[in-house]
Amino acid sequence: MSLPPPNTGSTICAELISGPWPLESSPLVSHSWAALWLHAWNAFWFAPTDPLPLGLVRIATGLLLAWSSTVWLLDTSAFFGTGGWLPAENVWRMNDQPWQWSLYFPFSSESAVFWVTLITLLAAVLLTIGLATPLAAVVALVGFISASNRAPLNVFGFDDVLGMLLIGLVVGPAGAACSVDSQLWRGRGWRLSSAATLAIRLIQVHLCVIYFFSGCGKLLGATWWEGTALWGAIANLQYRTLDLMWLAGHPLVVNVLTLTTLFWEVLYPVLIWPRLTRRLVLAMAVMVHMGIGLSMGMMEFGLVMLVANMAFMPASVCRKLLCLPVKVYPAIP
Amino acid sequence: MPTVASHSTPPRAMPWSIVARAVLSLALCLYFSAVVLAPLAGPPPASELANWLIQPFRPFIGGLYLGHGYRFFAPDPGPGHSIRWSMQLTDGSPLNGVLPNPTSDWPRLLYHRRFMVSEKIAAFVPLSDAPEAIRTKARLDWQPLVKGVAGHLLKKHGGTQITLTLVEHFLPAPEDVLRSRQEPDLLTPLGTYAIAADRSP
Repeated sequence: MSLPPPNTGSTICAELISGPWPLESSPLVSHSWAALWLHAWNAFWFAPTDPLPLGLVRIATGLLLAWSSTVWLLDTSAFFGTGGWLPAENVWRMNDQPWQWSLYFPFSSESAVFWVTLITLLAAVLLTIGLATPLAAVVALVGFISASNRAPLNVFGFDDVLGMLLIGLVVGPAGAACSVDSQLWRGRGWRLSSAATLAIRLIQVHLCVIYFFSGCGKLLGATWWEGTALWGAIANLQYRTLDLMWLAGHPLVVNVLTLTTLFWEVLYPVLIWPRLTRRLVLAMAVMVHMGIGLSMGMMEFGLVMLVANMAFMPASVCRKLLCLPVKVYPAIP
Repeated sequence: MPTVASHSTPPRAMPWSIVARAVLSLALCLYFSAVVLAPLAGPPPASELANWLIQPFRPFIGGLYLGHGYRFFAPDPGPGHSIRWSMQLTDGSPLNGVLPNPTSDWPRLLYHRRFMVSEKIAAFVPLSDAPEAIRTKARLDWQPLVKGVAGHLLKKHGGTQITLTLVEHFLPAPEDVLRSRQEPDLLTPLGTYAIAADRSP
């Protein structure tokens, strides 16, 4: 069996910039440096792609938002009511008023906060199944932002990432694949879409920004350089759901785990793009985020990060994993 | 299996016009400027330049809930915090509690939402051995937040007076665990609050 010749640098470069749009067929190409950049920009952001990955991100995001809304509902008056943890007149102390608007400011009675939260939950369910998806996505985003801006004492990283995903779902045709909408209106197939590309790229690039700043923030800390930072998470009783205190006797293991996490996070925005390293980076994401979820009881945070990482799964892989017998049609010119 | 991936033949024209792509490109640049400026100008240390550049983006960042620093477990994972409270009920009997309560705050996401109350308030409260000037200045920031928490607990449990204490839990080093050494938690009084005549604490 003969192996295919290895990719040379120039081959990889051509593949990166051309995408599904052959360079020689583009009317813009004059092979100048600026034209190459313009072509690469167009291919990156606007070349039509399969909306399947966006559809899968929609389902997972909808489920997480539905769960989050359910938990808000368990104590709505405490989170959003007038006599809650943070009275409305003190919200400005925690976030940037008046820009961080919320429906919970005008609708602040006990029944009103309950109904606003319930509507968000319903929108999340509709988003998950993909029924009236564009409207559901907008209502879900409005409900989500309202909750997060009204209860700054109660939000954490999970909410930061969930908001980023919802913005992508509002921008793109989130209901074009794996949805009730697609079954009702488009039969058993869907079209390649530039809007799907735009939405998935928004999530991908934003996720790189998140990892970049998260990694850079860790570089400010001595314990991350010393390789002991993960011990601080392991030994924190308020987070702990899995007893890993036996690692006290294995400092080198803690060093390896800490430094691997640090360098993976810092290098994520670079190594996630080449096909050669993408699988390794995604496999590491699964280990890190499931590790956080299981050992620190932050399963929702771990899951939302994994959902964001799903944006990097190629449609062909999603299709193979799901064994989807679906037709994909070209985009409408 | 009728799986057809017809994108094997590349289409020859971009679906969107050049004007549409130009407008979207501009919007993308603005969007990611906001996304990047938020953590750049966010938690300290931050540059004066970033703080200046972010000003026109504040409505957009606030409106779309993009103002995050993304400093997860950074710069160093620190000790956990909780708030112990002791309340006097209307019949004079005492009631004690802790926020968050790992035994009753379930599901775990509810625990985390309540845990964030103590963690975020703790970020405003200096240690009890900090200089008096720093503690006095910080009190202006944390006391209104604590007052809200106190008011909520009094209303929820029907109390007349409540005393709150911030607990910084001892974070053992590996050698502490190996030697079975346990240091006491650090306690910082957050004050005593009572229902006023107008029913606000």
